[in-house]
Amino acid sequence: MGEPAVTVGAVANPASGRDIRRLVAQASVFPTAEKANMVQRLLAAFGTVGVDRALLSTDLGGISAAVLRALHRRRGRDGAWPQVDFCADDEITGTAQDTVNAVRRMVAAEARLIVCLGGDGTARVAAQACGDVPLLALSTGTNNAFPQLREATVAGLAGGLVATAAVSPAIGTRRASVLEVSAGTRTELALVDVCASTERHVGSRALWHPGTLTELFCTFAEPDGIGLSSVAGQLCPSPRSTPDGVALTLAPPDEATWVVHAPIAPGLVAPVGVRSWRPLVPGERVSLGARGGVIAVDGERELELRDETATVLLRADGPRCVDVRAVLAEAARTGLLRVRNPEGSVNDDGHLVHGGQPRAR
Amino acid sequence: MTDTLSTAVSHELDENALLEAYRTMRTIRAFEERLHDEFATGEIPGFVHLYAGEEASATGVCAHLDGRDSIASTHRGHGHCIAKGVDVKAMMAEIYGKKTGSCHGKGGSMHIADLSKGMLGANGIVGGGPPLICGTALAAKQRGTGGVGVAFFGDGASNQGTTLESLNLASVWNLPAIFVAENNGYAEATSSSWSVAADNIADRAAGFGMPGVIVDGFDFFAVHEAAGEAVQRAREGGGPTLIEVKFTRYFGHFEGDQQTYRAKEVAEARAKLDCLKRFRARVTETGQVDAARLDAIDTQVADLIDAAVEEAKAAPKPTAADLETDVYVSY
Repeated sequence: MGEPAVTVGAVANPASGRDIRRLVAQASVFPTAEKANMVQRLLAAFGTVGVDRALLSTDLGGISAAVLRALHRRRGRDGAWPQVDFCADDEITGTAQDTVNAVRRMVAAEARLIVCLGGDGTARVAAQACGDVPLLALSTGTNNAFPQLREATVAGLAGGLVATAAVSPAIGTRRASVLEVSAGTRTELALVDVCASTERHVGSRALWHPGTLTELFCTFAEPDGIGLSSVAGQLCPSPRSTPDGVALTLAPPDEATWVVHAPIAPGLVAPVGVRSWRPLVPGERVSLGARGGVIAVDGERELELRDETATVLLRADGPRCVDVRAVLAEAARTGLLRVRNPEGSVNDDGHLVHGGQPRAR
Repeated sequence: MTDTLSTAVSHELDENALLEAYRTMRTIRAFEERLHDEFATGEIPGFVHLYAGEEASATGVCAHLDGRDSIASTHRGHGHCIAKGVDVKAMMAEIYGKKTGSCHGKGGSMHIADLSKGMLGANGIVGGGPPLICGTALAAKQRGTGGVGVAFFGDGASNQGTTLESLNLASVWNLPAIFVAENNGYAEATSSSWSVAADNIADRAAGFGMPGVIVDGFDFFAVHEAAGEAVQRAREGGGPTLIEVKFTRYFGHFEGDQQTYRAKEVAEARAKLDCLKRFRARVTETGQVDAARLDAIDTQVADLIDAAVEEAKAAPKPTAADLETDVYVSY
C-alpha cells in the first residue's frame, strides 16, 4: 500500500489566548477543550470531502491528548475521519518553535493544506514555515486581525476542498502580503502590522499604551478590524485583496492631525493620534525614524532595539491563504457538496425508494 | 467621545528602579546558592526549599508594593521575604535557628515572617497563604488604605481547597487581592501537567469571575508589567487577579531531593532562560544601565551574604527560657 493520497496538517497552539490582554482589556478566554473540539470539527469536515490523512501537532497543553481520546472513543456512526497521525518526533519546547517544527513536519509529509489554530502570533509563525502550502488560519479568540473567527467545520470543508484540488488554488486561495522588519541581523515577518514603540522591553508582549506608539505599518487595514490595524482601518482603509499597505506616523493625540478612537484590543477603545499616513507599496523599504525602543509585529512586542534603527519592507509574497468564502461559493456553483438523487428514486411524498445515502464527491 | 479605559501609563523603569530590581534578584540568587552549599555541611536544622530560578516573580511583583501591602508566602519563601524587604541577615540567622533571627530562631526556613514589612510568613501549609491574604485585603478595603494583598502559591497549592475558596471569596467580596501562582512544573515530585486538571492554572480564573493571565516567569519585565496592572487594578477597586508565572526551579523541591522525576530542564533553563542573565543582557544592550554598576551590585551582594552567614553562625541559639516567649502574639 502506498502513502495516502491527500494529507493535510493542523497545528493548534495551546498557549494562545492567555496573555495580559485578559487583564488590561477584556480579551476572551479560549479553553483548551474548545481548541480540541475545533480540531475534531476540522477532522469531520476533512473526512467528508475526501482527505485521506490528517497530521496533527502535539502539545503538553491538553489539545492533542483530547483529540487522541476522542479518536479512541469514536464509533462507526460518528462519520468518517481521515487517518489521524500526530507529529511526535520533535521534543516539545513550550515555545513558538513547536509550531515551526510541526508545520515543517507537515510540509515534509507533503501536506496540501496547513490549518493553524491560534492568534495572530501563531499564524505568523506558521506562515514562516509553511512555504507555498495553502494556509488556513483560524482564530481561537477575539483579538485577532489575520486569522478568521470561523466555524471550524465550515473552514475545514473549504480547506479540504482546496487540499483535494476539488477547488483550484487560483479560485480558492489568495496571496497575502507580509511586512519584513529588520534590525541588525534580526528579521521578523508580520502578517498584519509592524509598530514602533518607545517602550524599552518586550515584557508581556502586548501593546496597550497608545501614547508610546510612534510608527505603524499595515499589510491591510479594515474598518471592522481589531488591534492596531484598526487605527488605519478607520482613517485610510486598505483591503486584504490588494498587495498595497499603509504607513502611518503616530503622535500624542494633542499633537496629532487626526485622533482615531480605535479598538486596539477587545474592550479597549483608545484615542490614537495620527500625524500623517500614506500608501505603502510592495518592494519599498522604509527606515524607522527613531533609534531604540521596541518593534511589535502583529501586536506583540518582539524586537528590542539597541542603539540602532530598523527598516520595514512590504512584500507581496506572503503565505497563500485559503479564502473560505470563495471556496464554498465555488463549491455551491459547481455542486461539490451536493448530489441529486436519481430520477425515480424519491416517492411522491419525498421518501427515498431505496435507502442509499447521498455522498459528496 | 470619551476614553473607555485608561491607557496612558506604562510601567517603564528608570535606572534606579532597574538597579534595585537587579539587586533584589541577585540577593535572592546569592542567598539561595549559598544556602545550597551551607545546607550540605549539616549545620542548618530542618528543611530548606530554595527559590533560585524564580527570582523574577517575587521581584517583579513586590516592586509594586509598599508599606500598605502585605504578602503571604509558601514553603519556598526566601525570595518573597527578600523582595518584600525582610532583613537578609535576620533571615539567615533564622534559618540557622539563632536567637538573632527574624522569629528569634523559632521558625526556621518555612516560617520566616516579619509583620513590620507586611510579610505574613513563609508557610508550612500548602495553600495556607491565600486565605490570609483575603483577610489582609479585606482589612485594607474596610480601612480604605489603598493597600493590596498578594498571595504567592505553587502549582500544588493551586489544587487545594483553601486556594480555590480564597479565589471565590476574593471575587465575591471584590477584594484588592492578587493571586500569584508560581508554577515551576512540579508539586514536590508530581508534575503539574498531570495534577492540574485545567491545563493552565490561570484558566481557573474565569470560573471565579476574575482575569487570569500567564506570564513568562523568567522575564522580569513581563512579570513586572502584569503585576503592575494587577496591583493598579486592585488599588482602584477593580478586584482580584490571578497571575500564573511559569518557570523552573533550579534546585530540588527541598535540599537533598534526588530529583529523579526530572532531567535536563534545569540545565536548559540556567543556560537559556535565566532571569538574571536576561535582565543583565537587556538593560545593558539597550544602554539603560552600565554593566559596571551591575558588577558592583554583585560584589556588594556577595559581601552581604558572606557577612550574613558569618554572623548567623556566630549568633547564640535560643535558650530554654525562650521556650516560654512568643507563644502568643498580639497583632
